[in-house]
Amino acid sequence: MTLSRRDFLKTGLAGSLAIGAVGAGGLLSGCGTGDTIKAFTTSTAGKPRYGGTLRAGLTGGSTADTLDPLSAVTNVDFSRIDNLYEPLVGLTPDALPVYVLAEELTPNKDATEWTVRIKQGITFHNGKDLTADDVIYTFQTVLNPKAPGSAAAGLASIDAKRMTKLDAYTVRIPCSTPFATLGESLAIPGYSDIIPVGYNPAAPVGTGPFRLKSFSPGTQSTFVRYGGYWQTGVPYLDEVVITDYADQTSQVNALLAGQVDVVNLLSADVISEVQGEGKNILLSDGGGWNPFTMRVDSGTFGDVRIRQAMRLVVDRQQMLDLVFGGFGTIGNDLFGIWAPEYDHSLPQRQQDIDQAKSLLRAAGAEGLHVQLITSEIGQGVTLAAQVLAQQASLAGITVSVDDVTVNDFYGTNYLKWQFAQDYWFYNFYLPQVSLATLPTAPFNETHWDNARYNSLYAQAIATTDTSLRTEIAHEMQQIEYDEGGYIIPFFPPVIDGFGTNVGGLVPGKSGLSLNAYDFKGVWLS
Amino acid sequence: MTATEATERVGPPSRAARPHPIRDTVIRRSLIGILTLVLVSILVFAATQVLPGNAASAVLLNTATPARLHALEAQLGLNRPAPAQYWAWLTGVLHGNFGKSLANGQPVGTLVGGRIVNSLVLVVLAGVIGTLIGVGLGVLAAARRDSVFDHVLSVTALAVTALPEFVVAVVLVIFFAAVVFHWFPAVSVFVPGTAPWSNPRELVLPVATLIIVIVPYVFRMMRASMIDALESDYVQMAQLKGVPRWRVLFLHALPNAIAPTIQVIGLSFLYLAGGVVVVEYIFNYPGLGQALVNAVSDRDIPQIQAIVLVLAAFYIFVNILTDVISLAVSPRRRLPRS
Repeated sequence: MTLSRRDFLKTGLAGSLAIGAVGAGGLLSGCGTGDTIKAFTTSTAGKPRYGGTLRAGLTGGSTADTLDPLSAVTNVDFSRIDNLYEPLVGLTPDALPVYVLAEELTPNKDATEWTVRIKQGITFHNGKDLTADDVIYTFQTVLNPKAPGSAAAGLASIDAKRMTKLDAYTVRIPCSTPFATLGESLAIPGYSDIIPVGYNPAAPVGTGPFRLKSFSPGTQSTFVRYGGYWQTGVPYLDEVVITDYADQTSQVNALLAGQVDVVNLLSADVISEVQGEGKNILLSDGGGWNPFTMRVDSGTFGDVRIRQAMRLVVDRQQMLDLVFGGFGTIGNDLFGIWAPEYDHSLPQRQQDIDQAKSLLRAAGAEGLHVQLITSEIGQGVTLAAQVLAQQASLAGITVSVDDVTVNDFYGTNYLKWQFAQDYWFYNFYLPQVSLATLPTAPFNETHWDNARYNSLYAQAIATTDTSLRTEIAHEMQQIEYDEGGYIIPFFPPVIDGFGTNVGGLVPGKSGLSLNAYDFKGVWLS
Repeated sequence: MTATEATERVGPPSRAARPHPIRDTVIRRSLIGILTLVLVSILVFAATQVLPGNAASAVLLNTATPARLHALEAQLGLNRPAPAQYWAWLTGVLHGNFGKSLANGQPVGTLVGGRIVNSLVLVVLAGVIGTLIGVGLGVLAAARRDSVFDHVLSVTALAVTALPEFVVAVVLVIFFAAVVFHWFPAVSVFVPGTAPWSNPRELVLPVATLIIVIVPYVFRMMRASMIDALESDYVQMAQLKGVPRWRVLFLHALPNAIAPTIQVIGLSFLYLAGGVVVVEYIFNYPGLGQALVNAVSDRDIPQIQAIVLVLAAFYIFVNILTDVISLAVSPRRRLPRS
């Protein structure tokens, strides 16, 4: 079953690092027609055509699946929400912000107040016009202190109570602290979708290309084309059926047997099997990241030399080869890979065992023994932990890997582990900082609190000039690069599969599958 | 004087006093069964308390800031002491209310109800077909004992016994669905709310997997007890007397050989109730097993309780049923023990 493949990979690793992940497939991939990987196609299905039902077989959901954009958590949640609702600002496949429901966002000089003008003539699935009232209602609901939505953490600067309507399509958004990156923060898929005044989660309506027909959590949901959709020409499909799959084996079997048209979140070791059976692979350079998190405020990793030593033991290419078959992007211990502020000029950190050893010696920590808390919280996470343990042993570091359940991981000790892992979808640089690397950040898992860094952030977030902001952001990244608590060895690829009858799929950099599950441009031939 | 008179009275004992083994068994075992269910529910609840994390952390995952975690725990009532949570659940059940799912707020009765039907269809189809095949092959193999047919069947059965159900399932999928032939669906997905029998093609491979797993057990037991029966005096007598072969097999030997096999068939049904978990998982079949796997990973206590109780009740029911049938087919055992 599912575990056999994973366990098999683990066993292979424990024995020897020489085994490649691609060659170490489970039962099913052994029956593929070969191990060579063909070129990745984005579409083989000719010209756009209207009609048809797209059947998506998706993993990553659970019986806790929700249609409520305020509390979306899992991949399958996002797949539904991204088709039902729309945000003010969206993300292009290249991970740049683009206006969706908004026509224009304008900040004042010190970024303490934004004016948002929305497009006219957009309707919700119940026929109601989208107006300024809905925008205000959405933000006040998301930021309700008694029941904050999952986006609340990233939008904490907005003073929702004081939001005012200037006219039917214009809203003023005052901020309690400067918030120059509002547009970027709104663009993260599935977090800031607009809901109508009086939104009822039991009968959800949005402005998206598809409206809800049926939903049964953890099992299946059906969406039909919204006839009154505001973008011309799309969607092509009449219907989208999303079925939850427990694991990749049954999901891939369904694709090969022609029972589903698209599948998400595949591992690299099934690529040859899927292609060997005549199906296609959609490969995206995701901007999501699976960091190792070292607590900088206490314990072993309170010593910056030990943190730097840990970063130096990582052979990033080898880790990517073993965990994701070599696909994906090498990381440099910095997040926000596609952000305009990302500093590509910092030298790529390479494995340097001698340097790591001398740092450990200087810190009096030779023969270091640490415990790494891991869990299958995201694709390849536990496998990366095993690889890290192997690589660290080269510098005489013993990493004992403690594989806990997902529930244990996110239970009472979450955000308190001394040395653990996590997974994040793509976010822009400064918005990510506000979530993870400030003393006020809700997910400050490394307990990072650097005075210089904090004041640089305060400066950057009040700067509307993007080139000046980038300059400040580069200095922040230099500090993280030299002292930070994250090891970011790579940005995982996103590997999806689809049938030859599916057209219009494009790779996306958000880290979510199928270009953030954007099905409006997809057709069936 | 009255006492001795009563015991010395000749004639059949009064109706109320006459032991009725089947009825007594049913009543006694049902009462024990209910007690067992209560104990099971306590054990399961205790187990969910020991598991790390809770429904709130399972729902929030990496969005679980302490503030959101506490808010959701309070909303789901998870901050109450464990005995109070259990008591609230138990009183609900006694009023016929199995509570709401902690994961999605839907009533557990509705969530589990449809899945019971789905799983029952798998279990009954596989159990009945598997039993018929197993009994039939067992009789044939015993009748042609030591023939090539018998040897091939016996060795095959032994080999299949060694295969876990997920291996059988994966092999079937490779051959009949995903890779070699594309005859049947590789996964059993049907629209929620539709009955499984309206999607017969989706049932083929999961049912076949379960059949393949149980047939060897039934077959081997049937063959062994049939051989015993065929070697008995009354069968040899019947043969000597010139009774036709089929009559000897099916009317003389089979009824006497079936009793031990019924126990194995009962065990097979019990196995099926557990075996569906794995098979449903592989075929993504929307049954109880799949729901249980999900409920455990979501720490959805009301749903875990409901499903485990259904499975436990099925175990108890099948056990009682097997004993009753055994009693019914072996008149000797119905006599009061003295």
